[in-house]
Amino acid sequence: MCNTCGCDQKESKTVAVHQSLLKANEETAADNRRHFEEKGIFAVNLISSPGSGKTTLLEKTIDVLKDEISIGVLEGDIETELDAERIRAKGVPAVQLTTGGACHLESSLIHKGFHSLEHQLEGKKLDILFIENVGNLVCPSFFDLGEQVRVVLISVPEGHDKPLKYPKAIRTSQVLVLSKCDLIDHFDFDIDKTKQDALAMNPLLKIYVTSATTGEGIDQWVEFLRSKLTSGFKESRGEGGE
Amino acid sequence: MHELSIALAMADELARIAGENNSGKVLHVTLKIGSLSGIVADSLRFAFDAVKLENPLLSSAEVTIEEIPLVYQCGDCRKTFSSDDMYFPTCPQCESVALKIVSGEEQHIANVELEV
Repeated sequence: MCNTCGCDQKESKTVAVHQSLLKANEETAADNRRHFEEKGIFAVNLISSPGSGKTTLLEKTIDVLKDEISIGVLEGDIETELDAERIRAKGVPAVQLTTGGACHLESSLIHKGFHSLEHQLEGKKLDILFIENVGNLVCPSFFDLGEQVRVVLISVPEGHDKPLKYPKAIRTSQVLVLSKCDLIDHFDFDIDKTKQDALAMNPLLKIYVTSATTGEGIDQWVEFLRSKLTSGFKESRGEGGE
Repeated sequence: MHELSIALAMADELARIAGENNSGKVLHVTLKIGSLSGIVADSLRFAFDAVKLENPLLSSAEVTIEEIPLVYQCGDCRKTFSSDDMYFPTCPQCESVALKIVSGEEQHIANVELEV
């Protein structure tokens, strides 16, 4: 109304915040991590491109470990219950998290999914929680879920250029599983180069060369999980999940 | 694609910051985005322009994105230097590969200008 003296003009102030754009996700992830640690649950977040063999690796892992320890699985997908059904067929409780379009899981969905899994467990203690992320080698690397270890899979048919093309997935993971290595003779895939590139970006990365078909490397991968369960796992998370 | 999720998270954070400061309007936001963050500044801007239309609190918010270059410090000779090499950098002074990232991973809201 008053254009003369500016007496009704709104004022502004600048607030210095300096906080992460993903603060809310990071806070819920920290809550999840604390919750898992209090309950003695080792939480593993599996990320990879679609079709790299995350569910198959889980099936093989379950075959080896299910009589030894208690396993639960959160299955992330855009749609369908297909993966959770594959896990349940192995006699392991699984909750399907469908994002309805989002290309990654976020920590709030893990929080809800875990409570729903606890409901299925009816008081039984879990040793390992596997979280299978939505198949995507880009976006899941931005979102900490509260895992103790992030595992990235790269399969032989995808090509050995993947570490260089998807550096954030490599940098934020603690374990790299090379999968479908029984196909090595049919593809131009250089295992040594893949390892070298990945280690240049993340020198602490543990690498397992595996094939779910022949069983190659599955024992070493399972031994890694066992060692985490017995040695305590609070310090196992390196730079992951920024 | 993750830039849309990040823009949505950013809208939530801005609403919270405005609420804490009793403001009904965000006028300007300054972001710091590192070259190694994996966030594409133009994609984030595009996504936020779509998100802000649905929110009166943010509808007139301008966004400034400061892109932060990748800077390493050498673990051997302590030299600090910037480099575009995100894969196999070496120290220009002593050729060491034992380098620590000093900056370039930022994905931060630096400050927010609010109407009060």
